[in-house]
Amino acid sequence: MKVSTNWLRDFVTLAPPITRIADRLTLAGLEVKKVDQIDDLQDTVFEIEITSNRPDWLSHVGVAREISAVEALSLKMPLLDIEAGRTPPAGWKIHIKDAEACPYYTGVLIEGITETRTPEFMVQRLLACGVRSVNLIVDITNYVLLEYGQPLHAFDADLIQGREIQVRKAKPGERLLAINDATIELNPNDLVIADSDYAIALAGVMGGKKTEISDRTRNVFLESAFFDPGRVRRASRNHQLSTDSSYRFERRVDPETVDHGRQRALSLIKQYAKPGRISSPVKAGEKPILRVKQVHIREEEIRDVLGCDIKPNQVASILTKLGCEVKQHAPGSWKVGVPSFRADLERPVDLVEEIARIYGYDAIPETLPARAPVSLTENPRLKLERRLRNLLSGVGLHEAVTFSLISDRGLDEKVDLASAVRIVNPLHHGLHWMRPTLVTGLLDAVQKNVNAGADSVPLFEIANVYSAGEAQKHPREERMLGIMLYGKRAAPNWIDHSREASLFDVKGIVETILGGASEGGWKLQKIHKSYLTPSTAREFVVGAERLAFLGAVSPEVCARWDLKGSAYYAEISLDKVAGKAGNVVKKFREWPRYPAVARDLSLTVKDEVPCEALIKEICELGGGLIRSVSLFDLFRGKRIPAGYKNLAFRMVYQSLERTLVSEEVQKLHDRIADTLVRKYQAAFQQ
Amino acid sequence: MIEIIRRIESEAQEALARAETGEALQSLRVAFLGKKGKFQDLFKDFGAVPADQRKAIGAELNRVKDWLEQAIATAQARLENKGTDAQFDGTLPGVVPQTGSIHVLQQTIDEITSIYGRMGFEVVEGPEIETEFHNFTALNIPLNHPSRDAFDTFYTTQGHLLRSQTSTVQVRVMQSRKPPLRVVAPGRVYRPDTVDASHSFMFHQIEGLMVDDKVTFSDLKGVLHLFLRELFGSAIKLRFRPHFFPFTEPSVEVDIQWGKGWLEVLGAGSVDPNVFEAVGYDKSRVRGFAFGLGVERIAMLRHGITDIRHFYENDIRFLRQFA
Repeated sequence: MKVSTNWLRDFVTLAPPITRIADRLTLAGLEVKKVDQIDDLQDTVFEIEITSNRPDWLSHVGVAREISAVEALSLKMPLLDIEAGRTPPAGWKIHIKDAEACPYYTGVLIEGITETRTPEFMVQRLLACGVRSVNLIVDITNYVLLEYGQPLHAFDADLIQGREIQVRKAKPGERLLAINDATIELNPNDLVIADSDYAIALAGVMGGKKTEISDRTRNVFLESAFFDPGRVRRASRNHQLSTDSSYRFERRVDPETVDHGRQRALSLIKQYAKPGRISSPVKAGEKPILRVKQVHIREEEIRDVLGCDIKPNQVASILTKLGCEVKQHAPGSWKVGVPSFRADLERPVDLVEEIARIYGYDAIPETLPARAPVSLTENPRLKLERRLRNLLSGVGLHEAVTFSLISDRGLDEKVDLASAVRIVNPLHHGLHWMRPTLVTGLLDAVQKNVNAGADSVPLFEIANVYSAGEAQKHPREERMLGIMLYGKRAAPNWIDHSREASLFDVKGIVETILGGASEGGWKLQKIHKSYLTPSTAREFVVGAERLAFLGAVSPEVCARWDLKGSAYYAEISLDKVAGKAGNVVKKFREWPRYPAVARDLSLTVKDEVPCEALIKEICELGGGLIRSVSLFDLFRGKRIPAGYKNLAFRMVYQSLERTLVSEEVQKLHDRIADTLVRKYQAAFQQ
Repeated sequence: MIEIIRRIESEAQEALARAETGEALQSLRVAFLGKKGKFQDLFKDFGAVPADQRKAIGAELNRVKDWLEQAIATAQARLENKGTDAQFDGTLPGVVPQTGSIHVLQQTIDEITSIYGRMGFEVVEGPEIETEFHNFTALNIPLNHPSRDAFDTFYTTQGHLLRSQTSTVQVRVMQSRKPPLRVVAPGRVYRPDTVDASHSFMFHQIEGLMVDDKVTFSDLKGVLHLFLRELFGSAIKLRFRPHFFPFTEPSVEVDIQWGKGWLEVLGAGSVDPNVFEAVGYDKSRVRGFAFGLGVERIAMLRHGITDIRHFYENDIRFLRQFA
């Protein structure tokens, strides 16, 4: 809202410099965003921003009252014409048919307007506040709205049918041509002002074209009312119509200014429009009253909340300046009458805030809490996450943050999204789903990078996945680590050549992470994921728990992200891994003191023989003398017949008790080789 | 015999000093250590040494022979290196280890939670899919409040919502624990805002809460000041500006001086008694304060990032900068 400082001077003295007053208001919670000097109008304008609890600041009187409180000055209120007319308007009736939406409605009939020119001071003040002059009557309603915060509406009385005002819900199918020339399709929740025939205004929001004030208007029906904030807000939102009027009604206007605002308007109309006759007001309903009219506050409460003492006379004077009626109840104890425009003051703590605000937050001392820290526990999963972030960023992966809300792109609605959480009111692009996997977010990130020319995109993300769970239960959230490798494994340099990332790079990372959580190893099982190539998809099972899965992203899914290369993906449940690893403190293990002997073994076996089976077999045959078996080469092609593969292992022989002699190792090694050849029809070269 | 050994040693020293080519070294080796070299002769003579002197002379003979072998090897290496000096280019780039990065939002969260950690605040978390009770009702947000509208909050088909603020975690922590409490809760929050340079429908907040029998607004000021000095440097100037939040009373926004103006960095206040009531605390016996801040906003300020969308696009050119 724009506030004219010339206008404010009607009510309160403004000691220069004006920017100092702006700063003081800001530091009292009435934020002055901008101070503009308008040379043409010889005025300085404050652009203020109010908080939703202070609709009383949406007027010059309200702002002036705040200045009087922070500057400890007195407030001069404008003169009101206490109801000019004595006779009620002949034959006019007001019916409130929805008292909840409109508890109080008043109107007055003004007949025989002779002047239509708006006085210059009013044009200028309206202009300073960003309001264009229309005609005298409309200008006066706008003027009162900006001065008192009471929205008024003026109808051309001759165009109201049946001398009747109905405040009612809109009828099905009813329409209103509004003064902005738009046709409003009313719905039955809208509150309208109607004459005997049709709606003539959307209550509190906008008037209708039919009864609009024009230069030819001689007789005016002036409305001043209290409309329910929620109803006005809904109407304003539903019809996407926000007006100065709806803005104030939806924040709650002061019920007392329904009368005061009308009276202020009448005194201006009398002075400038020179009407022939003004009726006495017609009123319907009753002014809403505050839920809490008086609040009791004690000195200790102020001290306990703020942590400092504020002098009793200062307490009383601050509250009085803010419009409260303060009565000392006992020493250090007050009964505070709340003014009608402060529905937000209901409890002692609300008053404490008012006192602190005006006293100045900056004047309250700074202290530190007396008690020592209360907890030293660290959540084990968060600890794990910290360790993994260091690990993964250390081995060349970049952490990504992608959106939890996704579309169904790349996912199977019947499989992946079957138990996903669905959003009723998505923002756009069909972002309907709370994601059940991190894969699509990471694919988005890969695509972005590939389009930007990256040839190596190693990413990870730590975030939740969501599932609806059972009916009536709270949806489930599980913390996941997603790993996505695409393109080159690393940028090439002048010593090392680069190679393409492989699924086994992903698997190696998963194994490293699970290593700490599964002492006894894990089982690899085939798994089906709609977005992974079936032959490559595996899950890691420890005990009964599925800790992780991995696979190559299927070519079809890659194509949907325009990816020409292969993408490899793994997802690890950090909730489960942390549950397994817990906070175990690792124990030191002695290593064998006797020398180790390494021997290589190269085997050609059928393609379907799994590597894991061979390693397991080797270890068993080693009878405790094999310390490690590692695969160092895998070869297919040329010298190897189709349907076979060649695997090269390095075995380290070592005893815990003695030094192994060369012949003994050779004997054992030969025996293992023989057995493997027999069992797996393996051919071997050494 | 000792004298002969010593003489041969000094002869070898002189010869070594003169040998400046590979060939010279090679003939030196042959002359002293070869099959017909001087040491071979000495070993032959060793047979005639009386038994009581064999040990001492043997040791001396071995010492000098070992020394000479070592000295020739060292000289050889030195000569070889002379040749490669020209080839070695120290300006070739080092092979930089391939490292990745932790997302700048996470680094910001880590930094903030670690500052509070040093003040005794424990990091806690809560669900992102929430109930109306935790997101609104318990936080003293009235039933007809605009923020409950579908314009401002995402709702699920099952009647839950996506939390629009991390203040929900306050409620959950108080429901499950007794005071005293000191917690910070980082996490994702959601609001149906159209994405532009300063808005996103998903962003991150950190909520803080302290509850005890005596906690005052002064304590809140002290803690926030300490925090902001640690985060932005001890020269930072700040101001406490009254504001409105339904779940705190009194409420405050904290601005820091930034260039010529002031910038809002966080919202805070004393916990509203209605919130204590909603979680089942005795509101006459506990007091507390809460604060909340936007992680993106802090990260943008600190790193000079001007478009919020950078955070979620994950362009490696962006991510790498904060490695």
